[in-house]
Amino acid sequence: MYSAADNRLDLIVDEPRVLDRPCPSARWESFPYSCIAHHGADCCDIAREWVMAYDFAQLNGADRASGPRWLRKRWTWGPSPWPIHWCEAVERDTLDCGALGCMARELFAERGLTSFPAQFVQQYTDEATAQWLGKWEAEKVSAHWIDEDVIYHEACALVSGEGEVKLFDPSAGWWVNPRQAGGYGGLLAVRIFDGEGRGWRWGDRILRGGEWTKVAERA
Amino acid sequence: MKIYVSGLYSGGNPQPGVGIIRSLRQGYPNATLIGVEYSNRVSGIHWQDLDDLFIQRPWDELDLDLYGEKVKALLDGGAFWISGSDLEAMWLADLFPEGHRNLLAPPMAALKRIGKPAVEAHEGLPVRIPTWISTDLSDWELHAFCRRHNWRVWLKGPYYDAARTPSWDVFEAARNALTKVWSTQKLFLQAHVGGYEESVMLSAYKGELLGAVSMRKRDITPEGKTWAGDVCDVPEAFLAPLRRIVKELGWTGGGELEMVRDPRNQLWLLEWNPRFPAWVHGATIAGTNLPARLVQAASGVLARPERAESEEFTRVVLEVPVRADYPLPPLPEPFAGAIGHSMKHPSGLPSLAERLHKRDAAMIEGEELEDPGGEPPKVPETFLADLSAIDFEQVQTPEFLFMESTAESLFRKANERAHRLSTNQTQVVNAYSIKTNPDPRLIRLARDNGFMAEAISLLEVKAALECGFRPDEVILNGPAKWWPEGMMPKERMHAFFCDSIADLERTVAAMEAGEMSSRHVGVRIRTPNVVSRFGIPLDSPKTFRKLIEGVKRLPRDVKFGVHFHMASANIGVAQWWHLFESILKWCRSIEKLSGRSIEILDMGGGWFPDDWHDGEEGDFARAVDTIRALLPGVRRIVSEPGKAMAQPSMALAMRVLEIQEHEDDYVEAVVDGSIAELPMYFFYPHRMLRKCGRTGEWQPLRRGKTHLMGRLCMEHDVVAANVKLPEGTRPGDLIVFCDAGGYDRSMSYVFGRG
Repeated sequence: MYSAADNRLDLIVDEPRVLDRPCPSARWESFPYSCIAHHGADCCDIAREWVMAYDFAQLNGADRASGPRWLRKRWTWGPSPWPIHWCEAVERDTLDCGALGCMARELFAERGLTSFPAQFVQQYTDEATAQWLGKWEAEKVSAHWIDEDVIYHEACALVSGEGEVKLFDPSAGWWVNPRQAGGYGGLLAVRIFDGEGRGWRWGDRILRGGEWTKVAERA
Repeated sequence: MKIYVSGLYSGGNPQPGVGIIRSLRQGYPNATLIGVEYSNRVSGIHWQDLDDLFIQRPWDELDLDLYGEKVKALLDGGAFWISGSDLEAMWLADLFPEGHRNLLAPPMAALKRIGKPAVEAHEGLPVRIPTWISTDLSDWELHAFCRRHNWRVWLKGPYYDAARTPSWDVFEAARNALTKVWSTQKLFLQAHVGGYEESVMLSAYKGELLGAVSMRKRDITPEGKTWAGDVCDVPEAFLAPLRRIVKELGWTGGGELEMVRDPRNQLWLLEWNPRFPAWVHGATIAGTNLPARLVQAASGVLARPERAESEEFTRVVLEVPVRADYPLPPLPEPFAGAIGHSMKHPSGLPSLAERLHKRDAAMIEGEELEDPGGEPPKVPETFLADLSAIDFEQVQTPEFLFMESTAESLFRKANERAHRLSTNQTQVVNAYSIKTNPDPRLIRLARDNGFMAEAISLLEVKAALECGFRPDEVILNGPAKWWPEGMMPKERMHAFFCDSIADLERTVAAMEAGEMSSRHVGVRIRTPNVVSRFGIPLDSPKTFRKLIEGVKRLPRDVKFGVHFHMASANIGVAQWWHLFESILKWCRSIEKLSGRSIEILDMGGGWFPDDWHDGEEGDFARAVDTIRALLPGVRRIVSEPGKAMAQPSMALAMRVLEIQEHEDDYVEAVVDGSIAELPMYFFYPHRMLRKCGRTGEWQPLRRGKTHLMGRLCMEHDVVAANVKLPEGTRPGDLIVFCDAGGYDRSMSYVFGRG
């Protein structure tokens, strides 16, 4: 199985921030979304099958379009090494947003729904990002996702109607509010990958596949 | 300008009064705002924006006629009144059926059209009403509703209060409590709708919609009440019909439509409240001051311009000074020998409900019931035929009665269904779970109707063999298949399902050693998020891998199978079918990863008789088709109806020993039966019949105020609560509890017999 994550690089772009760009940090301008890799052997077959069957059991008769909130219960959001394979991911206690976003996509697909990778840029504070940086460095995994007080984050866009998407953040276990005004935890930019480059309605906004859309100003 | 505002309770489930006051103060800084309350314990009376207080005695003391005259005088004198309480709004609507120009609350005709749960006025809005039924129906039907909705149901009162009732005993307790508090039997059960809660708040004057806002809950209290939310405009697709409805209703005052948005974006209307919600000031913060708009429309005095501070609001806990002229009352004495203080309903609202109910029950609950005892449950004809065939002179009560023709017809129908669902490729067979009732008459009926025998111990295997089953018609299941030691048949059995990985390893070893033999060997699996102690858990990749490895080690000359069991009566019918689908997914994964084809699939059980016998045959046919599609290697599908066969096949006869009449029509009738014969009393209702001593007619027992107390000197020995004994019932009369042939019979015990 091909994994874009295998080829994921930490892009450190040394250029001044350009505020009118939809993506507030140049380092994530062309950043690929994450995919969990597969060893092509029983180990990953069993792990992946378990995740899919477990998800269906957890649905508990609810609508298939319900968010897979069990992911957050099962795995604490935290550092994970890349590339990561299915057999490694299921054994870990912590997974980062890239792994959880990939799992959410695969689960929605297994349920027969259409979803796309989603990338976010969110603003926090220097204090928050310093904490995360320390945690990621202690685990000796890349902290490419932190740039001053803004962070790169991955989630999942679920097609919820004709030309319409909802954004599920599996690291948090919630649907992202389309009404965003910046601030702590606020969404500054979003990009979804629909493979077609068409426009998708998300609240009052149109997200064009493959392109960053500015959501709020960086404070 | 004087404005009276009621509903100042500000606890965890607050009323809107304080929010209304805050909004009015913003719109009318110079208005005289007077708080109305019926208890000086309500903390909202100390809110700083109040200019004065109008404190009344609690509703249970209040002279409603005198108070009504006082309110009328205030309104006639030019004051406005905004009610923050549903029940007070109803009382005011009763007082002023056509409204009053200064009463900013809905008229009676409008209130009648927003009654829960049907909310008749909702027609035209893009909402649906969650499925519900009235508790007027028999317990038998109420239990069926709960099963159909997976026990995700709410028991709701006509005015306030809702209790989640995940089991029958909880339902019964909640029904008793709500009936007592709100003085009515007219409660309703409503199916839960999963999703996110949101509301539309409106303000209207004489049928003109003055404004409406939409609010999504963003944080909630443990009771599910709003703690924070975001406010936005109401979409035109909602607003246009709302405007029309408000006009038709001639609505005046505030209102709130409480809804849930499901994952498919469908809105479900839970209730339409006849007042502003407690979060009313949250909308004012977001720039829409609906109380001020209401007063502006009624008074013609322009309110201050609205000002949006934020699109979102949240609550905080504030300490405020207590008014010197309203010192805090002492805490009531703690419950004697118990924990806590009696603090509920300081203003006596339940008493107002009772008084309104007495004045005119139809006013707030719809038409009065002709028979408050509810419909009697329907009893099948075969029950009556079987009972008629019994010579009760010979029956030493309490005694179980074999319902012969009922049992025969049930087994025959089950056999016919299995035949209809079978094909050349896949055979569908039933298996009789001996533990549900090991009575030889039932085991023989099972054998005669093509059932297999499903045993959980070697003693049960012995019972099956003694009733004529061959070993290759026996399925062994459960964690104690090897017990008692030394009784394992040497002959080949039909199927042997292992309950754990260790059990699987032991079975493989025993087969290799020639200690046992079975055509099929399989595993019982336990899916995640099902609470059970049985089967191999699948809740971690590690155990799943162990299971796959174990299955791979099974001898190739043995056919492999999977068993799952979960009582549909306990988890609900739809939930059971979801579980079934989930199991098929696990089975497909097991096949794919182990390389072993599943040849037998054994599905249990615990079906409530009506769900299995009267359920849609289409569901079973679809299930068989799904199995064939997903698991093409399956040659035999074993269906375990469990108690669906046994439960209706026996009844329990008992006699009335004594009738004790108490106050308020409450009756305790002591019977010679007990929970020792009816241990399932707590889990489901039984249909009860009294044999009329004069005519011999079988009379069904309705709901009422009689408790049937068992013969045991045990406090919890109550075999039926809230039933009504037919007129003329006396000691010595015979009462038959139907539906007692399942676990009531097999788990009954000897107690209090010396």
